[in-house]
Amino acid sequence: MDQTSSMLRHNLPKQDEVGGPRPFDAPSPVPSEEAKSDYLDQTCALLRRTLPFEVLPEQMLRAIARLTRPRSYARGDVVYHRGDRAEDIQVVSSGSVNHEMLTPDGQPMARVMRSGDVFGWAAVLQGPSERLAEAVCLERTELLQINGEQLIKVIGSDPSVGNVVMSRFATMITREFSAPADVAERLRHPAEEVVDRGAGVVPSRWELTRYRIGQWLKSPNPYLMVTGFGILLTLWYLTVEVWRLPRFQDLPGLTVVVKEWLSENPTYGLSIYTPEYYEHIWVSVRRVGIAFLLATGLGVPLGLFLGWSKTFREYVFPVFETLRPIPILAWVPLAILMFTGAESPVIFLTFLASFFATALNTMLGVESIDESYSRAAYCLGANKWQVFREVVVPGAMPYIFTGLQISIGVAWFSLVAGEMVSGEFGLGYVINTSYTMVRYPTIIIGMATLGAVGYVTSALVRMVGDYMMQWRVRELALGGQ
Amino acid sequence: MSAVLDRAAARQRPATAGAIRIKDVVKIYDPNGAAVMAVDHCSLDIAAGEICMIVGPSGCGKTTLLNAIAGFHSITSGSIEMDGQLLCGPGKPMAEPGSDRIVVFQNGALFPWKSNLDNVAFGPLMQGKMSKKEIYEKARAMMADAGLSGTENNFPGEVSSGLRRRVEIVRALMNDPKVLLFDEPYRALDSLTKSVMHEALLEIYYRNKVTIFFITHDLEEAIFLGHKVAIMTTRPCRPKKVLEVDIPHPRDYSVLTSKRFRELLEETADVVHEEARKSFAAGEKEG
Repeated sequence: MDQTSSMLRHNLPKQDEVGGPRPFDAPSPVPSEEAKSDYLDQTCALLRRTLPFEVLPEQMLRAIARLTRPRSYARGDVVYHRGDRAEDIQVVSSGSVNHEMLTPDGQPMARVMRSGDVFGWAAVLQGPSERLAEAVCLERTELLQINGEQLIKVIGSDPSVGNVVMSRFATMITREFSAPADVAERLRHPAEEVVDRGAGVVPSRWELTRYRIGQWLKSPNPYLMVTGFGILLTLWYLTVEVWRLPRFQDLPGLTVVVKEWLSENPTYGLSIYTPEYYEHIWVSVRRVGIAFLLATGLGVPLGLFLGWSKTFREYVFPVFETLRPIPILAWVPLAILMFTGAESPVIFLTFLASFFATALNTMLGVESIDESYSRAAYCLGANKWQVFREVVVPGAMPYIFTGLQISIGVAWFSLVAGEMVSGEFGLGYVINTSYTMVRYPTIIIGMATLGAVGYVTSALVRMVGDYMMQWRVRELALGGQ
Repeated sequence: MSAVLDRAAARQRPATAGAIRIKDVVKIYDPNGAAVMAVDHCSLDIAAGEICMIVGPSGCGKTTLLNAIAGFHSITSGSIEMDGQLLCGPGKPMAEPGSDRIVVFQNGALFPWKSNLDNVAFGPLMQGKMSKKEIYEKARAMMADAGLSGTENNFPGEVSSGLRRRVEIVRALMNDPKVLLFDEPYRALDSLTKSVMHEALLEIYYRNKVTIFFITHDLEEAIFLGHKVAIMTTRPCRPKKVLEVDIPHPRDYSVLTSKRFRELLEETADVVHEEARKSFAAGEKEG
């Protein structure tokens, strides 16, 4: 802090008897929680009015507000002299400050800073941080001071935000202070100092996705997940093999299943060493994949048109709503009558459930879009087809992906129902035949594999969704989710 | 600020287009079989390049009028003309929405799935009148002009609400509109942000002479910004008093404490208050 310089008086006539720096708005040495939050609110409102900080998300703004230290100056007080060490940037809260710089050819260049103006940016320049200007208060003035190092640290915690703040500092320095461009080029780049991410202001989609996975691994969440599985397995082990509780005693135990699963020579013919195991997985994944793609390819367009065209909906929606509640198992006879062979009836059944979930959610997604968006698009000269492409489709995207999450879940659900009825391969087939042939551990192997594969497919759908909807991911990320 | 305004005012060019003539417009809604008259023989003349503020209690039918000009709603009778051309009237109940009249919406309508830059470029891209390269060059230049550089690649959801409003206005101005229609755009903003937005709006106005049709229920805002303030009756909506604000432009925040501003406010406050009470008694829904 420029303690010594601020104590020096300039030659202006003294009018105000409030001398020397003192904290304002601080009646008691320890401010209450309430007063603190009031102070933060006011500070945030002030920072919102400044050029470098106005674009910041609320959270970041509050973090910066916490760095501020209020200080009062009387008329004629010098905030700093040219050549002083520059540690803080200054935000004018009230009053006015005369800011005088020298141009490269030695001409003085003055500007009066008022509420909402920011000066003292030498504190965020690279190289020797010396004050380039002289700042003198023209009246009683309250300033908020922010330590440059701390500020860089805070805005550097989110590189994309940090770069925006710095580029706005650059705009401000050249435009408002008419400083030569090479001064602005000396601004520090917080993003590069924290992690070397290259010059991009906004990280690419892939970078962002990778970053999120990295954050997840650093958080406690993976360990909580492992603990959750641990509890489930322990309970299984205890109830079946240690306590031998009634009803549980006939079930295959944890150790038996794990031994069978990992055995090179399995008793019942199915383990991670047998090629049949992978064949069953592959057949099921392929069926779900084909059904899911068909359901998405047909369900999303149908849903979009249902939501978009009132006439189309009048024709189709009642039929749709009559067919939708019919359980998948009720379709089995028709599926077998309609499709020959073992493969197509199963795919048809899997497709059906997915299709309804996808189409319905897509339709709801279109209905959820605020009318203002399509009106704005028409105002801006878009035609009907452009509104569909640019507003309806992206606007419905969050709902579509919710629908696809549900869709992949019910696909697995109805796949097993289908495979139990017909089919010669697949995880549902494994579970069903293992029961009739009294291979109990294999039932559990089939179930656990089904669960794991289902989890992976569902996570894949979510990842694709995040990748395609960066705007939403970032919005949610700013909300701290 | 005032230096900026002076400079901007010096650059302004006289508006030649964008005069709106609203003549005997009636709008009757018939949602539940019971006819509701939203607008009743409303007539209003807005000169080219004028800021016309429409003040009225919540739910009085101001937005119906705006929607009729923008081409979102039909009118029952009467006519609306722009520069002598019929927008809607006899034989043509509904105007065509177009980029000569652009609405800035109450809750903002920047597309959240497009970056700020893509939002600004949206209009010309849809109309296909310029090459993609020209469009993006112009969009970047206009954003820089409005102090928005550095936020081009952010999504609207990542920046403050005051900033979003500015991006939305720039998006409208990209199309060189004749009229900007504001539907209470600053209603949800806190009073500090609002005061900044007012000055920003005036600055933009001084640089791009457009006609502004601005709906609000805030009388101070109306007198501060407008050349003309039309105070509307509660439903059905019709101008009750049209006030010519004789405070010269360019204006800045010192106007708010001037004597003339206070006089005009006193002159009109009673009229507005009376309509607000009527609206309250009728139990109008906010909106």
